[in-house]
Amino acid sequence: MNAVMELFKRHAAENFCPGPALPIGECRYVVMDTELTGLDVKNDSIVTVGAVAMQGGKIILGETFYEMVCPETALRSESILIHGIMPSEVVGKPSIDDVLDDLLKFCEGAVVVGHFLSLDLSFLNKEMKRLHGGKFRQPVADTLKMHAWMQDQSRGSRGQYDACEENKDLFSLAKKYHIQVSAAHNALMDAFITAQLFQRFLSFLPALGVRTVKDLLRIAKP
Amino acid sequence: MLIAEDSILFLKNVPPFQFLSEADMKVVADNMTMEFYPRDAVILKQDDPASDSLRIVKKGGVKVSVRTDSGEDLTIDHRGEGDTFGLVSLMGQDRQKTTVVALEDTICYLLKRDQIKELLESNPSFTEYFLQTHFTTYVDKVYREMHSKSLFYGSSDHLLFTTPVGDIATKGVVTVREDTTIRDAAQEMSKNRISCLIVMDRNELPVGIVTDRDLREKVVARGRNVNDPVEDIMTLPLIRVDVKDYCFDAVLKMIKHNIHHILVIKDGKLKGILSNHDLMLLQGSSPLSFAKDLESQESIDGLVPVSAKINRVVGLLLKDGARASNITKIIAELNDRLVRKVLEFADRKFGKPPVPYCWLSFGSEGRKEQTFKTDQDNAIVYADPVGAAQEDATRKYFAAFALYVRDGLVKCGFPLCPADYMASNPKWCQPLSVWKRHFGGWINNPTPEAVLRSLIFFDFRPLHGDDSLGTGLREYLMKHVKGQNVFLAHMASVTVKNRPPLGFFKTFIVEKGGEHKDELNLKFRGIGPLVDLVRLFSLEAGISETSTLERIEAMKGKHPTIDSVGDELAQAFEFITLLRIHHQVEQIDLGEAPDNFINPSKMSNLEKKILKESFQIISKVQDGIIDLYGPGMVSG
Repeated sequence: MNAVMELFKRHAAENFCPGPALPIGECRYVVMDTELTGLDVKNDSIVTVGAVAMQGGKIILGETFYEMVCPETALRSESILIHGIMPSEVVGKPSIDDVLDDLLKFCEGAVVVGHFLSLDLSFLNKEMKRLHGGKFRQPVADTLKMHAWMQDQSRGSRGQYDACEENKDLFSLAKKYHIQVSAAHNALMDAFITAQLFQRFLSFLPALGVRTVKDLLRIAKP
Repeated sequence: MLIAEDSILFLKNVPPFQFLSEADMKVVADNMTMEFYPRDAVILKQDDPASDSLRIVKKGGVKVSVRTDSGEDLTIDHRGEGDTFGLVSLMGQDRQKTTVVALEDTICYLLKRDQIKELLESNPSFTEYFLQTHFTTYVDKVYREMHSKSLFYGSSDHLLFTTPVGDIATKGVVTVREDTTIRDAAQEMSKNRISCLIVMDRNELPVGIVTDRDLREKVVARGRNVNDPVEDIMTLPLIRVDVKDYCFDAVLKMIKHNIHHILVIKDGKLKGILSNHDLMLLQGSSPLSFAKDLESQESIDGLVPVSAKINRVVGLLLKDGARASNITKIIAELNDRLVRKVLEFADRKFGKPPVPYCWLSFGSEGRKEQTFKTDQDNAIVYADPVGAAQEDATRKYFAAFALYVRDGLVKCGFPLCPADYMASNPKWCQPLSVWKRHFGGWINNPTPEAVLRSLIFFDFRPLHGDDSLGTGLREYLMKHVKGQNVFLAHMASVTVKNRPPLGFFKTFIVEKGGEHKDELNLKFRGIGPLVDLVRLFSLEAGISETSTLERIEAMKGKHPTIDSVGDELAQAFEFITLLRIHHQVEQIDLGEAPDNFINPSKMSNLEKKILKESFQIISKVQDGIIDLYGPGMVSG
């Protein structure tokens, strides 16, 4: 328990979070995705966590995180169809309790980025609260929100709301930005796709006035 | 992990990474990062500090350009998927030497310098690939620099090597169906005032071509019925080039297939047609047309004006962007044809010789390394005559023959050899047995004069007549020089005596006085030592090639020094030759006589740097020779 408290203190310390004035091209990011047994935060839980690190616009291909855990709640048939993980595969996998600290360590010093991150966060925070009595502390940014904000900017002064609603799920956006999507996907591959989406956004943002971590967190709040 | 698998799959198709072991490739994949550049983004900028990573294009494409001293932006290259960029600046840890811009949305893998260095140290095939492309890039860039200079002199020549076929091809080709009659086709041609038309099949695909020549040779000359379908007289197969191919590719195909028209294809569809005439218009005059001009001459007087144009070819090729080795190859080919033509005239004039003979070229002509016309260096070897009467007849025949050829060559612009190393000198017009005795004598008794003669004569190459006499002499030489360490040591001592001026760039070791004060003799101080040491190696290794670059190529795997520095020597040779040719063309443009003296103050920093590297490699190899034969080598 001491070790956990120690980690918690370090985690809270300022130098483990990027400073708000840091240019977005110099910040470390961890782009994360999870797969769940379902969407109900009370009755479902995390099955896999995937994450890839970025230094500014560079995706660091060798610095990845991927864990499959034995979920706290049963795998449900609807979600099995989506992620393709069979109950037999998770037998004997570590519990989220054993993996969470490694994940927190992987995220140290980084802004955590995800697509529709609020869902992943709600599940992470459930476990954080259970295990550490607190919340996930890293600064977070959502690519879905970033995209919406950028759309708003380009609509700009016209002030009209675009009637034609487009799909904003990860794969529709990947297609829109010509990101290669392989047939098989899991939390890590989806995190990699999200990272490439974020990589493109990073190249557009400075021209729209988003230059620092503070600016980014403001427009991309999950 | 899956992400790395993705990049490994990619690397497996990309040289030199594909040469890596599975384990090394995994290490590379794990150490890579990935960047995205929107279209038009400047990825690397000339004169910025060098990037710390090599970039491999995963998707998209980039343009590499360089800004010249005169402020022009010259596009050097386009790089696409699987290509790398940034290596030269990366390894030099210098300033970035080029500007790289994304032509479209582009994704690159990045690999850090340390990682590349580790791979270079541990993987021979990886190293070989990069060394080759590395030095080539350098030479290419210098060439571009020179190229920009010659543009600066106001040349408006179109560029054989840089003009895509699509730019000059005749568009809007006239076509007819294959069942059209010959008469209708001919009428179509005269109506459109064209010399050829394309025959299409029922599916609108080109299947043949009909030219004026076909009408002349296959219809008129043979009295064929003009109501026959045109497909009966069309020429097959159709040779094609892509619109994006350079005109040089088209010229090569036209020479190869002996045709005057070539189809231009875009996206699989007929786009236009390119004729020899288009190419001549493009250039004013083409190397192809010179070769044909030469062949069609019937007298020495007819050759003279054609021969005078050969110098012009060098200038054209240089402006067109040919590499030095290509230029000297084309010059050698044209000069060979010229000399052969004079010899054919001599054959005709003097009738059948009493015994078969072979005309030998040596010196720079023997090595196919002439730039502009150099002194005649030639000899005759003939089959041993039988009996005193035949001996006498033979000697008389070849004396007159050689004199006629010598004077003919002088008329065509090849000056006399001051040292009289010519077939017209009875000493160098001998039967095979005497030549063998000469060679054997020089090898067995290497006096200074003998070694000097070996340097010149051992680069001989049969040019005309009975080749077997020339090859017989070559075989004799190779057999007898092998293991003749005393002779080789003498040759080695001469070879290392002429050191390249290494201090050139600090203290400028140049000519101390006279007309060429403060200038450097590129032929004597640069090319000479390199040619000499490659010749020495080729005698050691027992290979029969005579040109320096071919010798280097042939010795790979047969000579330890060539195995370790052969590519660098070849690049050095190519570079110094290019420098020399460029200098001479500049002189000719200014109306001066070409020489080998270059003034270092007129060279760019990059040129100086590479010339220095070239001298260093020559010097290093000379040191190796001294070590091998011992510092106390026979004194010259």
